[in-house]
Amino acid sequence: MTPTPAKRALPSKESTLFRELLNLYETRQLKKGQKTADQILKKFPEHGETLCMKGLILTHMGKREEGLELVKKGVRLDLTSHIVWHVFGLIQKGEKNYEEALKSYTQALRFDKDNLNILRDAAHLQTQLRLHDGLVDTRFLLLKLRPNLRQNWIGLALAYHLNGNLTEANKVLEQYERSLKNVPDYDPEQSDLLLYHVRVLEERGDLPEALTLLDTNAKSRAIVDRVAVMETRARILSKQEPGTDAEQAWRALIERNPDNTSYYYGFFSSKNTDLGALTDADRPNTLHLLRELSLQNPRTLTPKRLELTVAPVGDFKPLVNMYLLQGLNKGIPSLFVDLKPLYHDNQKLAVVEELVEGYRQVLEEGRLPDEFPDAVAAISDSDVPTMYLWTLYFLAQHFSHTNRHSRALSLLSTAISHTPTLPELHTLRGRVLKRLGDPYGASAAVNEARLLDGQDRFLNTKSAKYKLRAGLVEEASDIFGLFTKKDAVSPGADLEEMQSLLYLTEEGDAHRRQGKLHHALKKYHAVRKVFEEFEDDQFDFHGYSLRKFTINIYLNLLSWEDQLWSHPAYIHSAVSASQIYVRLFDSPSLANDVLSTGLSAEEEKKAKKKARKAQQKQEELKKGKPFTVNRRSPLKHAVAAAAAAASNEDKGLELTPTKDEDPDGIKLLTSPEPLERAWKLLSPLLRLPINNIDLWISIYDVAVRRGKYLQAVRALSHAKALDADHPELHVRYLHFQKLYGSLPLPPPAPVGTVISNAMATLATDEMSSEAYNVQYLQRHSGNAGAVLGAAKALQILGGPRDEVEGILFGVLNPGVDLPLKTALDVWSFLKDTSSPRVNEFRLACDEKFNLSTVFKTPDELAVMYSQGPDTPINTRAEIDD
Amino acid sequence: MTSTKKSLSSKVTFASLTPNNLGTVRKLNTVLFPIKYSEQFYSEILLPEVEDFCKLIYYNDIPVGTICCRLESKDNANNLYLLTMGILAPYRSLGIGSYSIDVILQAAATHSKPNIDCIYLHVQVSNDGAKHFYERHGFKEKGIEEAYYKKIKPSGAWILERQIEGSNDG
Repeated sequence: MTPTPAKRALPSKESTLFRELLNLYETRQLKKGQKTADQILKKFPEHGETLCMKGLILTHMGKREEGLELVKKGVRLDLTSHIVWHVFGLIQKGEKNYEEALKSYTQALRFDKDNLNILRDAAHLQTQLRLHDGLVDTRFLLLKLRPNLRQNWIGLALAYHLNGNLTEANKVLEQYERSLKNVPDYDPEQSDLLLYHVRVLEERGDLPEALTLLDTNAKSRAIVDRVAVMETRARILSKQEPGTDAEQAWRALIERNPDNTSYYYGFFSSKNTDLGALTDADRPNTLHLLRELSLQNPRTLTPKRLELTVAPVGDFKPLVNMYLLQGLNKGIPSLFVDLKPLYHDNQKLAVVEELVEGYRQVLEEGRLPDEFPDAVAAISDSDVPTMYLWTLYFLAQHFSHTNRHSRALSLLSTAISHTPTLPELHTLRGRVLKRLGDPYGASAAVNEARLLDGQDRFLNTKSAKYKLRAGLVEEASDIFGLFTKKDAVSPGADLEEMQSLLYLTEEGDAHRRQGKLHHALKKYHAVRKVFEEFEDDQFDFHGYSLRKFTINIYLNLLSWEDQLWSHPAYIHSAVSASQIYVRLFDSPSLANDVLSTGLSAEEEKKAKKKARKAQQKQEELKKGKPFTVNRRSPLKHAVAAAAAAASNEDKGLELTPTKDEDPDGIKLLTSPEPLERAWKLLSPLLRLPINNIDLWISIYDVAVRRGKYLQAVRALSHAKALDADHPELHVRYLHFQKLYGSLPLPPPAPVGTVISNAMATLATDEMSSEAYNVQYLQRHSGNAGAVLGAAKALQILGGPRDEVEGILFGVLNPGVDLPLKTALDVWSFLKDTSSPRVNEFRLACDEKFNLSTVFKTPDELAVMYSQGPDTPINTRAEIDD
Repeated sequence: MTSTKKSLSSKVTFASLTPNNLGTVRKLNTVLFPIKYSEQFYSEILLPEVEDFCKLIYYNDIPVGTICCRLESKDNANNLYLLTMGILAPYRSLGIGSYSIDVILQAAATHSKPNIDCIYLHVQVSNDGAKHFYERHGFKEKGIEEAYYKKIKPSGAWILERQIEGSNDG
């Protein structure tokens, strides 16, 4: 033991006070603690540990800045005390600065290497940061110090497991199980532990051992989760040796729950058949077995649905006929969605269309379809009207899905005059109109559905979403507000608190379409905040799950967290925000343009009024009860439970939400470093295997502007692996070639070589960029997206405007398939380049997409919707007298 | 006949009116009746005392009709006035209307505080079908009110009435 340094030693009176101070802190008597600290500091103002404790107490009391100041001072004054480092680490952990916190804990451990509290906290930080080598060491030490604590054994096994060392994990578990005495019967904790051990053995490939362990403990009832036993058993048996035993195990599961599709996949895997990748030779026998299973479980649709996938076209018709009639008669709203995957096979699509069209004709005459199979005999004539209705609904979806929107609309109009009270018809009509490019009509249709059932939250959310799609942001907020907390500052604020990704992304997109880029950025950054919370939320589980022995589910949580950022909503937000940042970087005056045109006098007035209202509400809230969250998203709920149950004494150190300094995102918009912000959004995605080409294009756009050519070219390789001919990739390739060729000096040797090599694999031929572009256009002249890509590329290469536009107008040629979205992209490209032919293009599209409204001018729209945006001409205004 | 009735009772269901499903009632009224109903109409049918007599009618879980009454008390008598009753065209002749009026009559007969004495309604004089329908359910013609309808022709209306049994014993 090193002697206590002189500056730390306190006389006995103060020494007692200091121990009291620690006690007071532990028991959260903060006021008294502060006084005690002051008492010591009066005599010894330079006492580092006391300064730190006072700082910690102040932080708890909400005086973060002052507290942090004291802690830092304390650390400086006594660099070899474990207490000061521990305190500093606690504060950093509270700020969710896990890297720095771990450094402080490591310092603390240098001066007190066996401190259990510090070791445990360090283990949690190492898990959070996925520093598995260090985690194994920490857990090992913890077990050595306290071998009688069960969770220390599990902790070490888990640490080995996470570090990829299944052999050691297995050894630890075996040793632990041998040491156990007097385990109570039917103990759920012991049960989960044993299942975990089986999992370790299974993952290690020790299948016979895994099976023995499972069977022994299932028999003795030490494993209480029967379903888990059955599933694990079936899975291991299948891996071990497909055959009768495995088959029996899966059969037993199907009998237990015939609606679980994965059991059928398992069953067939035991017969060496992969339901996901059938060969034609497998089909007859598979079909036969499915039929058998279906007869044994007559109440489930699952095997019948699988039969439809498996059946060759020749056998398909009678099967799907039965399935359709049953579904249409029962009025299953999701029938089309259920069958849609079969449409990959064009012949099956045609069979379905022929059958359902046939039903429609017969039902229209008031009769039931003729060849009614016996199994559907329960149908009577009195079911004709509802069956007819569901048939129309199915057909409308079918035709819209296969791009015959007018036919879909006419079927819907028949259906709505037949029965105007079925909300599904109106939402579908909205969807068809949306696909046709009429967001206003779509929004009105979905709102009609909402009015039929005011307590249906699905319809409420859909209606608000369609309003956002139509740019009616304020109205959308009112609709959302019907279901959000009444005392929230605004509906949007509540939805953000509820972590509604749908709301945040849709409203961000709506603002973006209207050019209110600051508001859009604000929402996209809010999405990032939600995901940061998701990531932080796991922290409490590192301790909680070990204590509660919920190991298996905890491991699933960890791997979910590892994939967290690849969520589509995050990718969408990161990409959208990056695109805005890139535009801001390319044209620095854009930010000012947005702000000066964004707020007209009227809007400003509105915004002020809104702000006043929000403030009023805020004040009311303050006056009333303290701010409490009485409703939480499910995840938050679980997290709160874990946090509350954690006997973790460090609560209260976390950052409390501060006032939003930038409610309108103006700082985001005008930030001097748009690329750095974009990069921060994109960087969590770099190491994940993401199949979204827009992401890699965005990564390129940002990286290349930051001068990170290696990252840029790597992004292009990723994109190429996904879709080598993608138009945006083509544009970027030529962009990079031009930029790289014009660098005054190529990057130095290692990087430069890598880039050159990568470029060589990206390029197909040694030819000029111009020729390459021409060749690309010729190869894809029927693809509107590729035409746009070639035009963009030519512009980058400095081609003359009339030539670029000449290529662009090619999308209107009769042989070119022009989707609505691409037409909109071409239009905005023309607008962005201030083309004199913008209007010409708009008019041509307005004619081509005659059912759409997106190519109308604001004036034309105003005439169409002269009764206000929500009452388009084709819906009747309901006015009561 | 009995089998039809049995299957009807499993297919026809009723829902009380709430501010949330009033939109469905409005939608039905606009297609069923040639009259625009006032906001007062819609607030009256939400009153708690008429909950048993104002219903949305579902067939195979789809709203296909509505029946709405008002409670009138005068001279010590408590009468139900049938404001609206209608089924969407494709769902007529399936017995849904009969089933529904029976349910309402049943509810009226067992209603207490107050006991219901009789139920009455107006039928446009051109609407023979409707008149026969109500007569089949025990309604009797009490007279004709000329110029009952202001905006539609013919403007006369039959008044049909039916006593409620079991209401006079209290």
